[in-house]
Amino acid sequence: MNDLATLLVQQSINGVYLGCLYVMVALGLTLIYGVMNQINFAHADFVTVGAFTAFFVATRFATKVLGLGDAAAYLVSIFVALGAGAVLGLLVNALVFAPLRERGDELRPLIATIGISVLLENGQLALFGPIPFQFDSPFAKETIRFGRIFFTGQSVLVVVVSMLAIGALYAFMKFTFTGKALRAVSQDRETAGLMGINPDFLIGLTIVIASAMAGMAGALIGPVLVLTPFAGATVIVKAFAIVIIGGFGNIEGTILAGILVGIIEAFTVQYLGSGLIDLVVFVLLLVMLVVRPTGLIAERREENV
Amino acid sequence: MITRTDRAPLIPPSRWVGYLLAFALIVAAPLVLGTPYWRGILVVCAMNVLLALSLNLVLGYTGQLNLGQSAFFAIGAYVSVILVRSHGWNFWLAMVAASAAAGMAGLLLAAFAVRLRGHYLGIASLGFAVITYQVLVNWEGVTEGVRGIYGIMPPPPIKLPGLPEISFGNSLALFWLVGGIAFAVYWMLDNLVRSPVGETLRALREDEVSAASLGINAARWKAFAFGLASTIAGLAGCFYPGFVGTLVPDAFNIVESFTMLAMVIVGGMGSMIGPVIGAVVLTFLPELLRSAGELRLMIYGIALTLVVLFMPGGILQLVQIVRARLSRRAGAGASR
Repeated sequence: MNDLATLLVQQSINGVYLGCLYVMVALGLTLIYGVMNQINFAHADFVTVGAFTAFFVATRFATKVLGLGDAAAYLVSIFVALGAGAVLGLLVNALVFAPLRERGDELRPLIATIGISVLLENGQLALFGPIPFQFDSPFAKETIRFGRIFFTGQSVLVVVVSMLAIGALYAFMKFTFTGKALRAVSQDRETAGLMGINPDFLIGLTIVIASAMAGMAGALIGPVLVLTPFAGATVIVKAFAIVIIGGFGNIEGTILAGILVGIIEAFTVQYLGSGLIDLVVFVLLLVMLVVRPTGLIAERREENV
Repeated sequence: MITRTDRAPLIPPSRWVGYLLAFALIVAAPLVLGTPYWRGILVVCAMNVLLALSLNLVLGYTGQLNLGQSAFFAIGAYVSVILVRSHGWNFWLAMVAASAAAGMAGLLLAAFAVRLRGHYLGIASLGFAVITYQVLVNWEGVTEGVRGIYGIMPPPPIKLPGLPEISFGNSLALFWLVGGIAFAVYWMLDNLVRSPVGETLRALREDEVSAASLGINAARWKAFAFGLASTIAGLAGCFYPGFVGTLVPDAFNIVESFTMLAMVIVGGMGSMIGPVIGAVVLTFLPELLRSAGELRLMIYGIALTLVVLFMPGGILQLVQIVRARLSRRAGAGASR
């Protein structure tokens, strides 16, 4: 294999790895948008909470209290982070989204979630301080080699876990009755209600699923981030771009766009420098909005464009 | 033909009283809050009022979700400083040019607003702010990048014949300058939103299709609203670097856009005085909470959420409810 091909393959692998992480975060945003046309600005902070939860479970609780090995502790921490995200989602739905839903206003929930975001960031700042934590994944030390292509155990783990999560979500939405009901709610809440579907329950469920994924993403992304209370903010802006590029509320589009953005990011780092990542992604976003505002995979939704 | 005789006078006397009170408040505030620290907060407050007014024109009156207002604030600040430092321009001339540059950038964003609605426009404008921020960070030859620009002078003193020189080195004169500009902008916008132009913008907000069927050119009026709003935000930006003395991209992080949004919503969107109240409250609240130390921004976040949850019309709604209750009580007393 020549150098260029090796480089292309290597960077594509890095890109898919990053992309999987982005998809985990962006899917939550797109799910919430799909069922209730709301943006959750605190979603980024759910990722951070997930990362901190995983960090403390993996390095303190599971290893010291339960006496697990490093690898098992990290795997346990992923699930605890998932639970932490779900609890946050439950709370935010009960306290913010549910009370504001009936008023049919798109701005106020947005501002309320900005308030929640400020609260979570500064709450974590008060608890953990501004100094970044070093979150080492036990899988990051193992290197796997195919010829001249390298990747770490961590990237394999991230890709496998997020593919499983994304696949489970996709199957849930497509093939189960609840998933079908959820899609019905996102198409027309009132009509779905008339068909005997409880929209409030399903919207709550969606927020919980979305937040659980954010928490889980936090556990997976934690070892990559500079782990501070504001870490999630670096991911969320890109997640917004991915949601738009994929088409708001469109699950397949979001998955495709997330992987695409991951690959673009990997190649931007290779050829242009890491400082330009956000610039490239957002120029792509604006171009996309001009050329194809419905997103990569167009849906039959016309009111937004 | 409808004549105006059956309507209230163009400017009712109560509004003049309001203007006079506001003017008196601007004159008196820095004399009451006499320490340099509080006068500095007042300058920031005046800038925030300008920013909230500008965002309200786009968001409250024209109904366009804009999450990137910090970009125009940044453009005003950077263009004015670079013109003065690197090209030797006079500050006042640079101020006009920088405001115009921000206005042009606003027209660029308006081009997106013509095609996109709701959250799509919101994210596009957010992207616009991210790109602006990244350009400030990466274009080091011009903006100095994250290193920042230091030692920026306040606006040059004004010499008027027969009067002592007015120097803007102290925050007292600077507050009167920025506060005076905020007052003038408020006056202008207050008249604008009452004019047929204001009715046109509101028609766009309520229903774009119906507005178009009445012959309103949506693209042109959105461009107008975005252009004017970003010019005002750019104008506010011109005073920021001279006041702080340094200029770094982090001052124009997208979080700043959210703060502006919060001011408009907390005060009361779509009214003239609401965003002013919001800007004043959200500037002073974190300062008053300073004794709470680390908890200060947590309280700020909780307060923001609670206001949105329980006062959907913002603080202005609270004022109106109290006033309605008082007048009802007064009415009941009179009838007895």
